[in-house]
Amino acid sequence: MDFFQEGFSQAVTLLVNRDPATYSAISATVRASSLAMAVSLLLGIPFGYFLGYFDFRLKKYIRIVVNTLLSLPTVFIGLLIYALLTRNGPLGEAGLLFTITGIAIGQTILSLPIVIALTATAVEASDRNLRITLMSLGASRFQIAKSTLWEVRLGIMAAAVTATGRVLTEVGISLMVGGNIKWHTRTITTAIALETNKGEFGMGVALGLVLLLIAFTVNIFLAGLRRRA
Amino acid sequence: MDIYQIQDIDHFYGDKQVVSIEDLVVAPASIVGLIGPNGSGKSTLLKLLCFLEVPTYGTILFKGQKKSSFSGEVRSKITLMPQDPYLLRRSVFDNVAYGLKIRGDTRDIRNRVAEALGLVGLEPENFIRRKWYQLSGGEAQRVALAARLVLKPEVLLLDEPTASVDAESARLIKNASLQAREEWGATLVVATHDWQWLYETCDSVLHLLHGRIFKGGMGCTVYGPWRMGQKDLLQKELEDGQILVAPKPEEGKHMVVLDPSRLKITLPGKYPLLEWNVDKLNGFITRLFLERNGDTVQAAIKVAELVITIRMKRDRVEKLRLYPGKEVTIAYDPRDIEWF
Repeated sequence: MDFFQEGFSQAVTLLVNRDPATYSAISATVRASSLAMAVSLLLGIPFGYFLGYFDFRLKKYIRIVVNTLLSLPTVFIGLLIYALLTRNGPLGEAGLLFTITGIAIGQTILSLPIVIALTATAVEASDRNLRITLMSLGASRFQIAKSTLWEVRLGIMAAAVTATGRVLTEVGISLMVGGNIKWHTRTITTAIALETNKGEFGMGVALGLVLLLIAFTVNIFLAGLRRRA
Repeated sequence: MDIYQIQDIDHFYGDKQVVSIEDLVVAPASIVGLIGPNGSGKSTLLKLLCFLEVPTYGTILFKGQKKSSFSGEVRSKITLMPQDPYLLRRSVFDNVAYGLKIRGDTRDIRNRVAEALGLVGLEPENFIRRKWYQLSGGEAQRVALAARLVLKPEVLLLDEPTASVDAESARLIKNASLQAREEWGATLVVATHDWQWLYETCDSVLHLLHGRIFKGGMGCTVYGPWRMGQKDLLQKELEDGQILVAPKPEEGKHMVVLDPSRLKITLPGKYPLLEWNVDKLNGFITRLFLERNGDTVQAAIKVAELVITIRMKRDRVEKLRLYPGKEVTIAYDPRDIEWF
């Protein structure tokens, strides 16, 4: 069990000494997950708002599909994206396999249902008097949509936090679509998997702690935003 | 030109009819009171008047014209304060300034917000920076009213504005609402259970029952069970053993309304003309209240579990020397009783 202690001291050493391989993995992780989260929020918030705010015939079925997608296994997403991006696949010519963009596409598929489902729930759970209040104060349709989103901002932030956590810590997509190529697509989670296979548990724990540190930094930032909101 | 003309509206939620009004006109700068039990359609009528909902059948004209929910005139001139007003998750300033900001009318906004807060009795310097969660129920209600008053609306619709606030907040809300008419000639439609306030301030009071206007004033509603009595009349035994007699209802009607203008009040054992078809109930006066015209008095009389309202001339009160607590007899003709 000494590897926990060893891992902790190694984590500090890696960060303080600016270990190039570790920083490369951190960079790949941050780039892939930032890209995935940006796309997920951009698409997921309007779609989630639409799903939560309006009543329409297929709403119930779309909710079931979105909720089902919350359980998508990362290796299955990795497999699908691999099949799409492989040289002989339908999108093979795009040359995105074993790239950060390829990983981000897979992670977007992972995080998008989370953003949609939690945004829709936040909008649905908003006070029934909100719309009446906004309308009676003279808001237009667009102003109602904008103000409603602002009113449920804490719920949307929770969606972003949950999705970010899921994206940062997934390993299946990064491994299958990224290929775990050192200096290129090796993320922290794939590096941990590799180190564990090599029996380097201490190094694995160190990288795990670095990942936790990143997650902690992201959450401190979001908590700051939450306090300001 | 009338502010509102309601023509034969029927409004349904699913199969349930919630409002049915044949004809109603609201004059500019008037105060109209809506009174009625819970579920009588007051809130729905206010939403219809705010064009938040469109009547299933019939038409509501605003200044002689049909309007839709998002028409510019409706958005800028009519505002509704719902029964449980929602405060935006922002500061008091942002709540009150919201309507002005979305209109792009930000000229001198700080002073206007402060003025509106002052109208509802909230000191701007103490409240303007507070968050929505730092307000008591009464303060939140007053902030919600200030957010409407700052817009200087032509029509102010208030849904039970004093229902869940303390007496002082209620007084401030009432005063601020009345100022809207005095200062810029707003038309007010107020739904409330505070009938004393309504009769003190309103130009007309509409009693809603099952979505319909009961023309007789503030009638007392009586529900079953009923049993068959003599002369083909129904009887309801009240909690103290007295019997209320009513004619048979028409199909689909299940609630009796005692019309205050058709009831007579006298002292026990002194009713001079006890005709064969007149029945009576004994009770005691709980409240006496002078209407706005200064000539009519309303008396609330407790008869077992019922509170029956009777309207009478002021001199009759003097003649009978009525006062709260005095025992009286109510005489009524069962044939005058209406079913709803």
